Amino acid sequence: MKKIFIVEDDFTIQAQLKTLLSGNGYEVFAVTDFSQTIQQIKAFVPHLVILDIKLPGNNGFEICSEIRTFSDIPIVFVTSSNTDMDELNSIMLGGDAFITKPYNTAILLAKIAALLKRAYPSPQAEFFTWNGAALHPASSVIEYNGQKAELTKNELKILYYLFKNAGKICPRNDIVDFLWDNQLYVDDNALSVNVARIRDKLNRIGLTDFVKTKHRQGYTL
Amino acid sequence: MSGKLYLKNQIPAILVNLMGMLALALFLFANGNQFQTVLFIFAVWFIILITYLSVVYYVRKKYLNQLLDTAEQLEERYLIPEIMTIPGKADEQVFYQIMKMAEKSMLEKIGTIQNDRKEYKEYIEQWIHEVKTPITAIKLLCENNRSSFAREILAELEHINQYTEQALYYARSEHTEKDYSVRETNLCDVVHSAVADNKYLLRQSNMTITIDDIENRVYTDDKWVRFILNQIIGNSIKYRIEQPVLRFSATKTNDRVVLSVSDNGIGIPKSDLPRIFEKGFTGRNGRIGKNSTGMGLYLCKRLCDKLGIGLTAHSENKGTTIALSFQMNDFVIRVQE
Repeated sequence: MKKIFIVEDDFTIQAQLKTLLSGNGYEVFAVTDFSQTIQQIKAFVPHLVILDIKLPGNNGFEICSEIRTFSDIPIVFVTSSNTDMDELNSIMLGGDAFITKPYNTAILLAKIAALLKRAYPSPQAEFFTWNGAALHPASSVIEYNGQKAELTKNELKILYYLFKNAGKICPRNDIVDFLWDNQLYVDDNALSVNVARIRDKLNRIGLTDFVKTKHRQGYTL
Repeated sequence: MSGKLYLKNQIPAILVNLMGMLALALFLFANGNQFQTVLFIFAVWFIILITYLSVVYYVRKKYLNQLLDTAEQLEERYLIPEIMTIPGKADEQVFYQIMKMAEKSMLEKIGTIQNDRKEYKEYIEQWIHEVKTPITAIKLLCENNRSSFAREILAELEHINQYTEQALYYARSEHTEKDYSVRETNLCDVVHSAVADNKYLLRQSNMTITIDDIENRVYTDDKWVRFILNQIIGNSIKYRIEQPVLRFSATKTNDRVVLSVSDNGIGIPKSDLPRIFEKGFTGRNGRIGKNSTGMGLYLCKRLCDKLGIGLTAHSENKGTTIALSFQMNDFVIRVQE
């Protein structure tokens, strides 16, 4: 499990970021004493640091350059100021990404995932399995008993979301939200159409009743 | 300098001369001089007087016209005392002193006002950065606890964010200093992030979004363009009709890339079109109760002017198309090739 260290002085944001990131499969630790930030980072040994710029005591830039003296882990700057100077500074000092508040959580998560993937490449491609079916996002293929079906972009993302939340009920609205976050602007009707097509494809490779409809709630695997 | 007025000002001197002439005439006649002699003396006196007056008039006129010219060419006219030569005449020096005093108090006033404005701008920027912290907190809270209720708050939050951004860019656009940096930007990324900024509002209004192939690289400030697109999207949402549609497309010609944002909303009346970029103009659409501020498009225009983007609006009865035209100069094209 990848470890993320949060340096953020607003406690609500800190707590909510913790919830968000741990909900997405990261181990999270937030700074508790701003005079000990560097020591706490050294003790936690994170894979990635989320760093605010305006902080009590040393500011984000100072902390960033200090981290760079002993480690080259990805650093994501998160700040409410969006001046060019701050962005330039953060890049000059070795920051890997610069995200302005209020950020889109999907974009933040995508950025974190991309940075982690680049910094710690894993040899095998990521895939998900559920009830004998395997989803390969990299090649956008679903496999069952050796039979394969090609998926379109929309279908892949819908299945990706369902696989990630396998066993849970996924409300239609949440699926559409997820698709929008992935730059696929489908509406409720289009979702139904896509799910019908997915079911069709799954039937053809022998997966019947794989995607279930929960009346008035959503879909589930 | 008006000649008539000059002559009028010289009346006392002329009168004194005339009185002198009269006294001299009486004296000369009493001494038994010939009438012709007296006439000759007067003629000479008169010529000298006229020559003196006209020479003084032309010299003064030339000097004053020059001064007027310099003042007119000056951008900051109140700075004229700094440029003009210090006059030699006693009364002129007093006026010069007065001008100096006026200039000084003017400069002091301008200084304080500039300072106040700068401080106010800084305060606004700081305030906006501060208010973004609670906005972020609310956003995270809602996204971590999704429900239809949270979705509505998120949509309202996007409104709040749009208004705060408007205030920020207004404060920035008022200042002449450069707050942007031009770099290679992918139009596609900017459009997607602008749509993401309005995600919940767009979802709430059931907007159908089509993004045509817009993989175009332009040279501009992505943050500013994103703000401009946010304002345009905001308008499309505000003035939508049933089954709203929003379409982004781009065309590329030799020297420019044009990004068009079209909707099928209520459109803009032809009579209002020429004025929509004016500050505070709300037009017919503003009067039908959509609480327009007349700020959004005005700001877009100002920012576009600064960035060198051409901004045009097109509307025929139904639907509006806003086009942003990005210049690609020879240099940029050659570098790309």
